Amino acid sequence: MFRELAALTRREFLKLARNPQAIFTSLMLPILYLLLFGNGFSFNVAQYVNPSLPIPPREQLLGLLDFYFRGAPNYYSYFAAGMVGFVAVTATLFIGANVIFDKLFGVFKRTRGTPAPSAAVFGSRLIAGSAQPILLAFFVMGLALLFAHVSGLHGLSITGSVGVVGGLQIVAAIMLLSIMFATLFLTLGVLIDVPQTYFAAVNVINLPVLLTSDALYPWGTMPAWLQNISSYNPVSLAVNVLREVMFGSGSYPYGPGVYLLGLFAWAAVLVSVAILLVRRALRPLE
Amino acid sequence: MTSTAAIQVEGLKKIYDGKILAVDDISFTVQRGETFGFLGPNGAGKTTTVSMLTAGLRPTVGKAIVDGLDVSHDPDEVKRRIGVIFQESTADGDLTGRENLEVAAGCFGIAAAEGRDRSRLLIDQMQLTDAADRLAKTYSGGMRRRLELAVGLINRPRILFLDEPTLGLDPQGRAGFWGFIRKLRAEDGLTVFVTTHYLDEADEMCDRIAIIDHGKIVATGTPSELKDRVGGDVVSLRTPEGVRDISPILSPLAGVTSVQKQDGTYRVKCQHGETFVPQAVAACTQAGVGVIGVTVKRPSLDEVFLDYTGREFREDEGPTATDRAVMIQRIQGQMRGRR
Repeated sequence: MFRELAALTRREFLKLARNPQAIFTSLMLPILYLLLFGNGFSFNVAQYVNPSLPIPPREQLLGLLDFYFRGAPNYYSYFAAGMVGFVAVTATLFIGANVIFDKLFGVFKRTRGTPAPSAAVFGSRLIAGSAQPILLAFFVMGLALLFAHVSGLHGLSITGSVGVVGGLQIVAAIMLLSIMFATLFLTLGVLIDVPQTYFAAVNVINLPVLLTSDALYPWGTMPAWLQNISSYNPVSLAVNVLREVMFGSGSYPYGPGVYLLGLFAWAAVLVSVAILLVRRALRPLE
Repeated sequence: MTSTAAIQVEGLKKIYDGKILAVDDISFTVQRGETFGFLGPNGAGKTTTVSMLTAGLRPTVGKAIVDGLDVSHDPDEVKRRIGVIFQESTADGDLTGRENLEVAAGCFGIAAAEGRDRSRLLIDQMQLTDAADRLAKTYSGGMRRRLELAVGLINRPRILFLDEPTLGLDPQGRAGFWGFIRKLRAEDGLTVFVTTHYLDEADEMCDRIAIIDHGKIVATGTPSELKDRVGGDVVSLRTPEGVRDISPILSPLAGVTSVQKQDGTYRVKCQHGETFVPQAVAACTQAGVGVIGVTVKRPSLDEVFLDYTGREFREDEGPTATDRAVMIQRIQGQMRGRR
């Protein structure tokens, strides 16, 4: 099993490395969002609160804005953390399409013609397919931190004390989110044979998941029903971990560990369903 | 099952979606070291048969024993012991030739160092040394086919399945490919199961042939046996339109075994074509019927196919049974999606 997994994983990374256009395209989306969308929408909370205002209204206003952005010092910082979750999902969208193209070009058939176990066939794609969004998520975080030091641009300002445990919690949240969506889209790629059907299915999943999360909207401005949905959304759960660790836990009812647990439950359910479906689809005899 | 049999098939049947009968109750045996040809037009059931024998498709009914193993019970072990060259190109274009081989070796659980050694040997054997580190998408059709053959041999199989291996290759590429197969057979005593619709290839390369049509095996034998069964030479005589039927004139002539009329042409099987033609022309002239065209053919597999199926080999080439099943599944899927 290990040799088969190693050989097929090597193949996936070789293909990834030989497709610089795909890497460039996947970098462009977060760069444009960080540079244009984030800066376009951003405003500094404190800047709009008149320091000469009497103390109670000032505190009330700051408290309200703090509620909107869940402890983040400004919208950009709030949004940048959300973008990390956003790319961890969007970078997995094409993973299943690669399976479909490999089916169309006969490569998948050849692999299936060998005794390589289905776990190795799926696992190799999952490893390579999750690595890209994980790396991209950290790239986004690094870029947003860098922008904070560029004159004229908004950037990510970390106001909490992250520490080792917090850092590990951020890594775990990004990894769980990427693996979960990579699993989901890979499974679709294994089950679907036609690229158009796959992309239609991806849109049906991707947009509702992202738009019912608080990755991009200020949480406090959401209507209550959307806040409720958002609370269970896996993207929101991952982003909650990031924001809580980066900006402090004052605005959250639970600690990052609870959100991580929720994310883990989502991942466990999705991976279990995927195993059932993929084992059925990739059984030795069709 | 006999101990020398490499492949034994008994009553094998494949029905797609409970509706499309692609392979209909076929039985045959392939001996070890033999090159066995599966001959038939597109849609005859060749690829479906190969898919079942290579543990890619579950038979609906029947038994297939490959290298002593039942493909339905031990599909992974069967895959470990065989090599398969698929009809379509399966080389990974974004990988070099060498990487294609090394990845394939890994898929068989071969250790990386051993995989590298085997890849190097096969690259040399297939004369791909200069192109080994180039991406496979830059290879010519013939080079890709040689690479796929090398991939099919990476696990040192005892039985090699070739599904339309020279489809789309130019005559030079075809000759080159068969040269490699001939060499492999001589050196390793490999059993080869090949499907093809190139009759000349089957005639030249195969020890025995099974002719399949509409999912059924209609004849099995060595190429010479099959040609002998046609009954000597085949003479085609053409008469002008509207003249009387000359079958009664031709049938009594010496050495004639059968006369068939097809679209104004008489297909006469006889022992010696050269001596029959002057007799036939004279007899027709005497009866007042002119003969406007004559051809004499030594029996070929074309004639054998025509003899067993009543049709020209290439007259009804259409989508394969597998293609038809896939098309139906897609249409059904799209219809379900619209509901």
